[in-house]
Amino acid sequence: MQALLNKTKGDKVIWAAVILLTLVSMLVVYSSTGTLAYRLSKSAESYLFKQFAFTAVGLLIIYFAHRINYTIYSRVALVLYVISIPLLIYTLFFGAEINEGTRWIKLPIINLTFQTSDLAKLALFMYLSRQLSRSQDDIKDFKKGFLPLIVPVGITCMLIAPANLSTALLIGATSIMLMFIGRVSVKHIAMVVGIALIPLVILVTIATGYYNKEEGQSKELPAVLQIGRIPTWIKRIQDFAYSDKHESAYQVQQMKIAIAKGGWFGLGPGNSEQRNFVPHPYSDSIYSIIIEEYGLIGGIAIVFIYLLFLFRSIRIFKKCPFAFGAFLALALSFTLVIQALVNMAVNVNLFPVTGVPLPLVSMGGSSFLFTCLAIGILLSVARNAEKMEGNAATAVNA
Amino acid sequence: MEVKKDILWRVSLCFLGIVALSLFIIGKAFYIQQVQGEYWKSMSDSLHLSYRTLDADRGTIYSEDGSMLSTSIPFFDIHIDFMADGLREKEGKRFTTNLDSLSIGLSKLFQDQSAAAYKKQLQAGYKKKDRYYLLKKKVSFDQYQALRTLPLVRQGRNKSGFIVEDMEKRLTPFGLLANRTIGLARTYVDNNRQVVTQNVGLEKTYDSLLKGVSGKRLVRRISGGAYVPVEGSEIEPENGKDIVTTLDVNIQDITQTALMRMMTDNQALEGTAIVMEVATGKIKAIANLGLMPDGSYFEKDNYALKTSEPGSTIKLVTLMSVLEDKYVTLNDMIDIDGGVWMLNGRRIQDAEKSPKSHLTIKESFEHSSNVAMAKLAYTYYSKSPAKFVQHYENLHLTSRTGVDLKEEFRPMVKNPKRKDWHMQTLPSMGFGYEVMLSPLQILMIYNAVANNGKLMKPYLVNKVEKDGNVLTAFEPQVLNEKICAEQTLHQLQECLAAVCVDGTAKRVFKTAVYHAAGKTGTAKVNDGNFKYTDGVYQSSFAGYFPVEKPKYSCIVVIKNKPRSAQYLGGSVAAPVFREIADKLYAGDIEDMPVYIAKTATDSIKYKWSGYSSDTKNILKEMNIPFIDSAAKEEWGYVYNDNNTPGIKALAVNENQVPDVKGMGLKDALFLLENMNLKVQVKGKGKIINQSLAAGQTIGKGQTIMLELD
Repeated sequence: MQALLNKTKGDKVIWAAVILLTLVSMLVVYSSTGTLAYRLSKSAESYLFKQFAFTAVGLLIIYFAHRINYTIYSRVALVLYVISIPLLIYTLFFGAEINEGTRWIKLPIINLTFQTSDLAKLALFMYLSRQLSRSQDDIKDFKKGFLPLIVPVGITCMLIAPANLSTALLIGATSIMLMFIGRVSVKHIAMVVGIALIPLVILVTIATGYYNKEEGQSKELPAVLQIGRIPTWIKRIQDFAYSDKHESAYQVQQMKIAIAKGGWFGLGPGNSEQRNFVPHPYSDSIYSIIIEEYGLIGGIAIVFIYLLFLFRSIRIFKKCPFAFGAFLALALSFTLVIQALVNMAVNVNLFPVTGVPLPLVSMGGSSFLFTCLAIGILLSVARNAEKMEGNAATAVNA
Repeated sequence: MEVKKDILWRVSLCFLGIVALSLFIIGKAFYIQQVQGEYWKSMSDSLHLSYRTLDADRGTIYSEDGSMLSTSIPFFDIHIDFMADGLREKEGKRFTTNLDSLSIGLSKLFQDQSAAAYKKQLQAGYKKKDRYYLLKKKVSFDQYQALRTLPLVRQGRNKSGFIVEDMEKRLTPFGLLANRTIGLARTYVDNNRQVVTQNVGLEKTYDSLLKGVSGKRLVRRISGGAYVPVEGSEIEPENGKDIVTTLDVNIQDITQTALMRMMTDNQALEGTAIVMEVATGKIKAIANLGLMPDGSYFEKDNYALKTSEPGSTIKLVTLMSVLEDKYVTLNDMIDIDGGVWMLNGRRIQDAEKSPKSHLTIKESFEHSSNVAMAKLAYTYYSKSPAKFVQHYENLHLTSRTGVDLKEEFRPMVKNPKRKDWHMQTLPSMGFGYEVMLSPLQILMIYNAVANNGKLMKPYLVNKVEKDGNVLTAFEPQVLNEKICAEQTLHQLQECLAAVCVDGTAKRVFKTAVYHAAGKTGTAKVNDGNFKYTDGVYQSSFAGYFPVEKPKYSCIVVIKNKPRSAQYLGGSVAAPVFREIADKLYAGDIEDMPVYIAKTATDSIKYKWSGYSSDTKNILKEMNIPFIDSAAKEEWGYVYNDNNTPGIKALAVNENQVPDVKGMGLKDALFLLENMNLKVQVKGKGKIINQSLAAGQTIGKGQTIMLELD
């Protein structure tokens, strides 16, 4: 045990934040899966055990990933990215349909569904970190600097968007932020944002246009807008914009009720009432359940943990002597925290309803494991930075 | 390091952005919670909590002898939610695998459609994603129990989608019997989508007791659309109380059957018959039949409680008045003017022409002379009509009887001080017009005469019970201890008995084995539907029996079709009374005075048949020597063999009608019914005649009539 602990390196605060979040996760998941377990005639504890298993596996992944020298990731980044593209295409056309969007494929042997966008995201950020670190000299150049960055981002996002628009937007936004941090020309970035905004503005215009304010109902959509997930997007934007009156804004209303019921100090662990009514209380809506059970104080604490995590990751970035590691730390930590904030923002109705889980807290699944892998890589960077520091210190002392 | 610094401020900027977003999130959460909190919380309550009514079981109405007259049974409506999670999961695997066996099960259970038809029906519903598909309505409890064991259904609501709603249905096990009096309790949704509860009869009068108090339960919605009670919020329903009526199922059956027979034969429009227990005023039976458009009869309305001009039955009151006020005696003579009396331009006429022009008061009552009664009323009360009306008041005829039914009509007895009292009123009242009374009220008066002048309040409910414990018991109520002087009473009783011996009901009761007393009535109907000139007559007979010790009083009132061939009270209503009285007398023989049957005198030439060994035993016991030639034959007859009784074997062959003449009924019944004959009996004593000749081959289910004397 001691040996294992000795070998566990990297930022201690990040380790603590991760463990804290997984503990919260187990509590809240246990409380909120009662409904699901009941509906599927499973024992109330079955999901707790599952989450426990996921956590154990996740921590192992973190441990092994952080023992690996992160420079290896630089080498596999390109390969991984290239693999992710056909996987996304396959998912789009042949993936399993869960909650109406085709985002999943089933791994043939271990029989586990996983969201290919998680893999693609990790691959993309590894690739971006590598590219940013390599092309710092020509970074302001359109051809040499900008294009090699924006083309992969564009491809990945466009492949994810049809099934999972919110994730695509999230990845896109985080990528652009990374490019900004990586000193890509602001002019180029503005151009990309401008182009990306066009379809979004159109979508919002349609959503508001096809809504009858007096009756509080959506209007019938023409056939052109009935394709794929377009109606879902429109509905979600409407739900978001008119949540107080709109009849179908059920999830938004229920999440707000959960938050309102929580008060400052919450109803106490396991006492959530809204878990029976909020859709996906163990994943998408988990933050509102946390506030219901642990109060606004608990909610603030969760935000604080994520911010702390980000802050410590930036510290790693500062310490890391190698550009790739530094960018990797930023990319992985920012995307994790942004995802967390998006989930929370959805829960407090700052953003439209999207299917983004709260990283490390929402009930397990492939995204949980990928998050763990990302954290492992981050800690690997930290470990190396520490080692360098240690070496330097030893050198000075010597 | 320039590059790194350039990057650092960008990172810091982004970090600040993230912090700002975090603060926004916390701020918004704070806003939802602290500013809008109440709104959302109240919305939560309205969405998740609701009050459910817990229906109380409605009480049962019993007859006096403990038969259920009206009771509630549960039934179920079955719906299917084809969008149930369990049904749909794995692409409807559960539905498809169970479809065939379920269809077969349903077909077997309900026997109304083939399995294929059920399968088709289920598939259609599944395809339509119907969330509330009506499978079957009004499923009985037994069927429901069986349904729950069928494949798929037994997996429970969440998996099968089967929704069961239980309802309550009011059932009257005796069908038509006193249906209108027991009443209806039904709830339905009318055209304006309002829930209407329509009760009549006892169901209405005692609705508040029968229905109980519904309970309340606060329920909270939980997952899967299920509701759980919130602890401590439940108010248990209090089940309804039971009502034990005075009605007797057997008497009711007899009464209805008798009434129905006459109504059908005479194609009458509506009729009622009430049987009352003399000593208590208990209503033992109350039958009401009305002609339906299809020619059948149904308990359409409670005619027993509806008022009409009573006709001659009210002459009892006229007679009582003049006797009580000592204006006349029974033997005083009265001139009936040949049955037609012109009074101030109005023609008063007797319904049946009387044999003589001058009658005694008693005779005029026996023969129901309208002229006589009009004259009596007119002669003695013109000066003080109030005195006449006072008798009505003493008899409680000016107000409702107060029987336990809300449908009772208010009677109409005119007041001399009012404008509508005119010079014809008094003579008309004398023979039953210009006064509106219900059959029940008339019966009440006849019952009082039978009950030695004690006027009893008619009533229908003995007691109110809960779980077999008596909550309230109702005792007989006396309205008037003595309606008239003892002497008057005896005279009235004498006259009523005379009607059945010498008067208008003479023919009807000629063969009765008991003595009845009563009065016929034949009134022209003028009720809004019909005018006097339409030739619609209301025939009635009110009376009691047995005269010596009155046990039951009874009234029969039948409104005939226009210009019916039979319309006199003596030929329409009295026979119904007779039939009811016959059966009640026979059924209640122990309580009744005994009438000795006249038997034929024995002659020297006798032949009595019977069970041989019984006959021999009797002769031996009585030490009468006899000649036995019957040997060991089971059946034999005794005859005069040179002044010594001789016993000879009686030929009894299989499938041949035996000679039962000279047998007692006990032996004859045993013998004949063992040969699968149906036996009908008339008279009493020994058998003197048989409808099937001896030696005839017996047909299947044949009936033999035996005449006894």
